[in-house]
Amino acid sequence: MASAELRIIRRRISSVSATRKITRAMELIAASRIVKARQRVLQSRPYVSSLIEVISNVGRDAGGSGHLLSEVRDVSTVGMVVISSDRGLAGAYNSNLIRMAERAIGHHTLEGRDTRLFVIGKKAQSYLRFRGYRIDQAFLGLTDRPNYGHARAVANLVIESYVSGEVDAVEVFYTDYRSVLYQIPTRVELLPVQPPTDADTPEGRSVSYSYEPSAEEILSRILPRYVEAAIFGFLLESSASEHASRQRAMKAATDNAAELTKVLTRVANQARQAEITTEISEIVGGAEALMASER
Amino acid sequence: MARPFNVDVVSPEGTLWSGDAEFVVARTTEGEIGILAGHEPLMAALSAGPVLIDHDGDQRTTIAVHGGFMQVVENRVTLLTDRARITAGDRAEAAAEALRLSEGDPLDFEG
Repeated sequence: MASAELRIIRRRISSVSATRKITRAMELIAASRIVKARQRVLQSRPYVSSLIEVISNVGRDAGGSGHLLSEVRDVSTVGMVVISSDRGLAGAYNSNLIRMAERAIGHHTLEGRDTRLFVIGKKAQSYLRFRGYRIDQAFLGLTDRPNYGHARAVANLVIESYVSGEVDAVEVFYTDYRSVLYQIPTRVELLPVQPPTDADTPEGRSVSYSYEPSAEEILSRILPRYVEAAIFGFLLESSASEHASRQRAMKAATDNAAELTKVLTRVANQARQAEITTEISEIVGGAEALMASER
Repeated sequence: MARPFNVDVVSPEGTLWSGDAEFVVARTTEGEIGILAGHEPLMAALSAGPVLIDHDGDQRTTIAVHGGFMQVVENRVTLLTDRARITAGDRAEAAAEALRLSEGDPLDFEG
């Protein structure tokens, strides 16, 4: 019967428009989160630039930095930090990054290097585990709003494995935020630390400091801070990228839902019109039959 | 009045304090140190403790600091702190706050 069909379409319309409201809300939330993550990148910038200034000044003054964290070794094992997200619904954000990381794993294996995986975010964890890679450590629940404590936890693990000789180099895979419309998966070599050079601080000049306690001690304390700050930066960039991808994905979903509602409404109107036409012809037919029997 | 010099207190979560000061006291790993204008270039590791900043004649800001570095260069003091909080009141309170910061869960950051 026609009215049943009409009822089903009406139900679909209301379910699609409810979904549309949800995706629209997610879009708006993601947009506000981008702004917040960008702000935090800007807030941490003075710290990072002072850190770089100090490292390069100390390095220059103390005559090269022969520190453990910047020592280059023959690489037999690579530590890989993969920064993905905990939640999906963010378009190709996770798959782009994970594909890049997986390709790198394949490359290292081909070259005869071992890999250790330090994974951030549920998406990379479940994908890589499903594909049979061994995950050494997974950090979950921090990609939405990363804070410095999270960065420190990751940095500690990475530094520990590097110092103990478990890994000879550390690479980070994260998504660099260029603009709302443009984020690219990026690979960075984090350890050994390449100490920032004069090129990074154009105003760099030679300073002879007096040290408390000593230049070596200062360097050995400050390099881990540098690693932490770098990871913090990667986490924030990734977080901004994740929210930007989600915003875009949710905007597309919202637009699709609106389009679908339009189409369904048209179908519903047609069904209703057909129903009315049927009713009228039934009435007319009935009246004709009555008139015929009266005659 | 003492000559002022520029002081910045920065942490990874943001700039805590920035401005001109006449006198700064901080606790390094070697002991307390006071900085006046024209101090020689210095690079020091900070230990947990209060940092006092005297500025604008009679104002005193106390900041509880948990580890970090202090750089003095060309009349510019930069305190790079792992974690810091501006505390109201005297240095005893700041010292207690710094202790709390260092005792707290190292991962327990705000934000």
